Amino acid sequence: MYRSRVFSTVLEFTRAAYDAVVDHARRGEPREVCGVLAGMRGAPDSEDADRAESLVTEALPTENVAERPETRYRIDPEELFAVVESIEGDGLEVVGFYHSHPAGPPRPSETDVARATWTDHSYAICALDGHPFVGSWRWRGTDEGFDREVVAVRSERSDA
Amino acid sequence: MDVTVDVVGGGERECVLEDGATYADLIRAAGFHPQEASVLVDGSPVPGDRPVDADRVRLLRLIQGGSNDHLEAEG
Repeated sequence: MYRSRVFSTVLEFTRAAYDAVVDHARRGEPREVCGVLAGMRGAPDSEDADRAESLVTEALPTENVAERPETRYRIDPEELFAVVESIEGDGLEVVGFYHSHPAGPPRPSETDVARATWTDHSYAICALDGHPFVGSWRWRGTDEGFDREVVAVRSERSDA
Repeated sequence: MDVTVDVVGGGERECVLEDGATYADLIRAAGFHPQEASVLVDGSPVPGDRPVDADRVRLLRLIQGGSNDHLEAEG
């Protein structure tokens, strides 16, 4: 379960990265898809307000190797490690991860809560039980669980 | 034995293990369940039942979950 507290962090996507998540989720239906979010990870406990937001500049798709991909996702450890190394080699940070819920729900499931491991990283979910919805939750650890984040999209239009 | 654990994306920690400890024991000593993390050697996971044979290892926290709320055995 997650607690719906006052938003404490913001996960901003470039338009290209946001659309890449939704496109990947749609292509994968009815199976769940997954991937890694790269960019600059915010430090919400920092006194520097500019450091409180995370920016996702790339959404890197990975294979879903779960035995039941319609309702489960799992990133192969070797691929996960290779993607993390690649992100860091490009001078970026691992901001978090994304996966899809083709039939909902538009929030972390009990399974998502039980399996979360990367503390202070974002877990974004694209739900397709209607128009695509992308939400994100920051994992605070086993005791505190998920904190809902504000999801923002950085427009690439000069007049926006 | 003392083992330095490099948690990928999560800093380092020192673990003290009994002689004959396995990598599954190491994962638990580092604060994780063997189902939620893997020790990597040359980028590949090592079996949890293998005795620890290094004084510095890399630990990868796994990324998994899914929309189904029921926590049965999963692949």
